[in-house]
Amino acid sequence: MIELYLTSGLMMMLAVYCIAMKPNLIKKIIGLAIFTDAIHLLLITIGFRGNGIPPIMTHENVNTFAQLSVDPVPQALVLTSIVISISITALALGISIIAYRHFNTLNTEEMNRLKG
Amino acid sequence: MITIAISVLFLAAFLVLVLKKDMIAISAIVFSFFFLIFIYLAPETMVFAFSGWNPPFGIVWVLDGLGLFMALLITGIMSLTAIYSVKYIKKRKHRYYTLLCLLTIGLLGISLTGDIFNMYVFFELMSVSSYALVAFLLNKESTEAAFKYLVVGSLSSSFLLLGIAMLYGLAGTLNMADLATKVYGGPAFLVVLGLILGGLSLKSAIVPFHFWLPDVHPAAPSPVSALLSSVIVGSGVYMMIRVIFTVFGIVSVFWMLILLGLVTMILGGLMALIQKDAKRLIAYSTVSQIGYIFVAIGIGTSLGVTAGLFHLLNNILLKSLLFMSFGIVLWHTGTRDMNRLGGIGKQMPWVAFCFGVGALGTAGVPPLNGFASKWLIYMATWQVSPVITAIAIIVSAITMAYYIKVFSCIFMGHSNIKIVNKTPKMMLIPVIIITIMCIVIGIFPQIGIMFVEPATNALLNQSQYINAVLGGSVI
Repeated sequence: MIELYLTSGLMMMLAVYCIAMKPNLIKKIIGLAIFTDAIHLLLITIGFRGNGIPPIMTHENVNTFAQLSVDPVPQALVLTSIVISISITALALGISIIAYRHFNTLNTEEMNRLKG
Repeated sequence: MITIAISVLFLAAFLVLVLKKDMIAISAIVFSFFFLIFIYLAPETMVFAFSGWNPPFGIVWVLDGLGLFMALLITGIMSLTAIYSVKYIKKRKHRYYTLLCLLTIGLLGISLTGDIFNMYVFFELMSVSSYALVAFLLNKESTEAAFKYLVVGSLSSSFLLLGIAMLYGLAGTLNMADLATKVYGGPAFLVVLGLILGGLSLKSAIVPFHFWLPDVHPAAPSPVSALLSSVIVGSGVYMMIRVIFTVFGIVSVFWMLILLGLVTMILGGLMALIQKDAKRLIAYSTVSQIGYIFVAIGIGTSLGVTAGLFHLLNNILLKSLLFMSFGIVLWHTGTRDMNRLGGIGKQMPWVAFCFGVGALGTAGVPPLNGFASKWLIYMATWQVSPVITAIAIIVSAITMAYYIKVFSCIFMGHSNIKIVNKTPKMMLIPVIIITIMCIVIGIFPQIGIMFVEPATNALLNQSQYINAVLGGSVI
C-alpha cells in the first residue's frame, strides 16, 4: 500500500519537473499526462482493499457486503477522469501541430526568439 | 426539469455542426436563459437527484439562491455574446457556436451541481472549451497563448482533482452537503483545502496566478475575451466561495482572502497603468476588480458578502461591456495599440458612450453601478479596519486614472483613422442592452441588491443548504 502512495507522489514530482523545466511542447504534454495518471493511481489506491470481493451486490446483508467489497466509487471517478485527460491531450496535440506550422519548431525558447 | 435546459444545449452543440445553422445555438442559449428565469421565480431551494439515487449516494443538482444567481448571470451574458458574435466571427462560425454551447453547459453545471466531483467534470468541460475558444483564430499569437493557458490551466485542474481525491479518501463522500457534515478543521483537511483553492485560484486570477489573463485576452477574439473576463473568472470566484463557505465552513481562511485580495487589487491596478495594449489594460483591470471582490467576501459579515457578490455582478456586466465595445473598435480598425488609435469618438459616438459608461462604472463614478457596490465595500471594510478602506479608495483612484488614459487615447484627440463600414446592429444592440442595465442598477441599486440578497442568504446559511439536500425533499 505505502509503496503505491510513494510511487504516486514520485510521479507527481516528476511530472511537475517535466512541465516546468522541459522546453519542448510534446514533453510538456507528456508531463501533464503523467500528472493525471499519478492522481489516478492515488485514487485507485484509496479504494483498494486486499482480498476484496468485486462490488457486485451478491450478499443478503448490506453491512457485511460493504466490509468485504472493494470501493467502486474511485474506479468510476478514474474512468471519468481518463476521458477528460484524453480530450485535453488531444486538444494540446492539436494546438502544438498548429504551433509547429507557424514557428517550425516545438521548442518554446526558440519560439520566444522567433517572436522577437 | 433542469435537465431540459442542459439537454437542449447539448443537442444544439451537436446539431449546429451537422445542420450548419447558427440560429440553433443562439436560440438554445437564449432558451436556457428564459428557462432559468422560470426556475428562479419558484419559491424554494430545489434539489434534483439523477437516476433516482437519493443523496448522498447519487449526483444531485442543488438550485439554491447562489447557484441560480450565477446561472442567470451566465446564461444572460452568454445570450448577449452569442448575438454579438453573429457578425464578429467570420470564419468557422459553426465550430465557434458548438464551443460556445459547450462552454455554457460547463458554466451552468459548475454553478448548479451539488457534487464536488461533478463540479470538477463541468470545470474541465468549461476549461477545454475555453482553451479551444482562445486558440480559435489560429494565428501565431493565439496559438501560443492558448498553449500556455492550456498547460497552466490543466496543471491547476490536476491539483483540484488531487484535492478532491484526498478529500474522498478522508471523508468517504463526494456530496457537498454530506461533506459539510463530515469535514472538520484538522490539518489534513487544511492541506486538502489548500490544494483545492490553489487549483481554483488560477481560474479566478488571484495575484500569484494572474499571469495567464493578460496574455490570453489580446489573443482571443473580442467576444471570447468578454466571456473570459466576466463569466469564466466569475465562476472561478463562485467555486472558491462555494468550497470555502458551504463545504468547509472555515472562518480562519478569511484573513488570507483579505490579504490576497489586497495584493491582487494593488498589483492589478499598478500593472494596468503601464500597458500600451488596450485589451491587456482591461485584463489587468479585471485582476484588480477581483481583488475588491475577495476583500469584501473575506470580511465575512452579511454586509461584506452582499457587497462582494454585488461587485461580482457589476464586474461581470462592466467587463463584458468594455470588451464588447472595444471589440467594435477592433473590428473597424484592426489594432489594439492605444498609441495608433485616436479620435474615433466623433465617428462612432454610441460606442464611445457605451465604453465610457463601462470605464466610469469600473472606476466607481456615482451614478453608475460600480459606485453602488464599491460604496458597500467601503462600508463593510470600514467596520473591520479603515486601512483597508483607504487602500480600496486609492486603488479606485488609480482605476480612474488608467481608464481616463485609455478613453482619451482611443476616442478623443485628432482623428487619423477613417471608419468606412457601418457598425452592424447585431453588435450594437447587446452592448446597448448591457449599458442600460449598468445605468439602471447604478440609479436604483435596490434592484441589484434584491437580486444579490438570496445569494447572500444561501451562502451564509450552511445548515439550510445541508437540510435542503439531506432533508429528503428531493425531486
